[in-house]
Amino acid sequence: MLDILQYSFMVRAFIAGLLIAVTVPVLGTFLVARRYSLITDSLSHVSLAGVGAGLLFGGTPVLVAIPVTVGGALLLEWLRQKQRLSGEIGLAILMSGGLALAVVFANLAQGANTDFTSYLFGSITTTAPSDLIILACAALLSLAIVAFNYRGLQHIAFDEDSAHIAGYRVQTLNYVLAALTALLVVLSLRIVGGLLISALLVVPVVTASLFARSFGATIRGGVLLAVVAILAGLTVAFYAGIAAGGAIVLSSLVLLIGAMIIKS
Amino acid sequence: MLLDADNITVKYGHDTPLKDVSMCVHEGEFIGLIGPNGAGKTTLLRVLLGLVKPKTGHISYTDARIGYVPQRGNLYNSQIPMSVLEVVRLGARDSAAALEALQRVSMDSFAPKPFTELSGGQQQRVAIAKALAGQPHILLLDEPTTGIDEASQHEFYDILRGLQGQGYTIIMVSHDVDAVLNLVTRVICLNQTILYDGAPEHFESDKYLPGLYKAQHRLLHHHHDAHGQEKHHA
Repeated sequence: MLDILQYSFMVRAFIAGLLIAVTVPVLGTFLVARRYSLITDSLSHVSLAGVGAGLLFGGTPVLVAIPVTVGGALLLEWLRQKQRLSGEIGLAILMSGGLALAVVFANLAQGANTDFTSYLFGSITTTAPSDLIILACAALLSLAIVAFNYRGLQHIAFDEDSAHIAGYRVQTLNYVLAALTALLVVLSLRIVGGLLISALLVVPVVTASLFARSFGATIRGGVLLAVVAILAGLTVAFYAGIAAGGAIVLSSLVLLIGAMIIKS
Repeated sequence: MLLDADNITVKYGHDTPLKDVSMCVHEGEFIGLIGPNGAGKTTLLRVLLGLVKPKTGHISYTDARIGYVPQRGNLYNSQIPMSVLEVVRLGARDSAAALEALQRVSMDSFAPKPFTELSGGQQQRVAIAKALAGQPHILLLDEPTTGIDEASQHEFYDILRGLQGQGYTIIMVSHDVDAVLNLVTRVICLNQTILYDGAPEHFESDKYLPGLYKAQHRLLHHHHDAHGQEKHHA
């Protein structure tokens, strides 16, 4: 087991994975509670368009993807709040539009295709030291913002009208949640991959909710399950030589199925 | 006076659910807001709560804090469990205040239970506790007993009676006219405009409500007749 840690790229992958695991289920719990978890599918596709643009125009793909995806998230939330489009339609348009742009950009950026695949399905070898620093800052920022606004976000999940009456700035908090989700989607790209990240936001949270008896317990359980799924997934990916995202998401699904069997 | 609504008119497109509605609320009153379906009861409540901006008219509050108990159908129905204590804690400044509010509706022993595992009547008591936890001056309730069994309804009304005795001002939207007349100190009967505003003893149900309901019945009968005749001709 320990020989795996002799490779510095694996150490970086584990650190990145742990940072993702302690942050993503926290946001995921609020999204699932509001039945809005599909937003991550759309945002991950938009983030791939950002990556494609980065590969084509020669920027650092992740740094290009961050403003593109956060912008997409804010646009989506704006459309939802103004009811210009029903939520689902906005999600569908952004989802297919994002992937279409991503494919076109990636094709135009000759020779970048191998690299692009790693953004789709995740990879254990591609986490750079600079990625870790960005990821750590984003994780810390997200957790701090959620902790600071915990009651308000929870109140909105319980009943949006009551939250409004209680004096919370509901619209602002909705924008904040969407933007943070976008940020973490982008930063999870390298490890979990754009096509699989939404599963990591939802599956550990749903698994935890089968046994938890409170909101707080669901968050803690979701984090624990995500940690297990990511450590197991990365280890399997290393020894079997497969894409990290696939191994991680399958691990989390095994945990979900196990939980459902125990529960029934 | 806690609250003064002056000439409120609300329009949604071509609909005018509220027209020139004026009411003021005094401390310690228990107001029952009744009227037929679609009479604008919930709209008026949402105006008072600041969730709907009226087209014309204005509302002035003293610095009264408002506690809100929404319709049961709108309460939490999420995949994510939330404990009773967490629900009440949303309205309270700390856990001790939340527990104290739960004690007041005799639900403190349910604190660690998931909210969705409670019966409808118990959920409504928790919703009251959540509203009380914010130490409000006025309680606004929207059809609080819809869909809960009769025994729980009586328990719920007893709680409201007790709260009124403690000096809370209460406004309750309800279609349970008999219960309202037994409970409140003031009845407001609404159908786009205010038809009656006064003591429950002087409210003549025949005069205000059956007329409205009869009109709906007559329409229904008329419809049936026309339908029957068509059949006959065929």
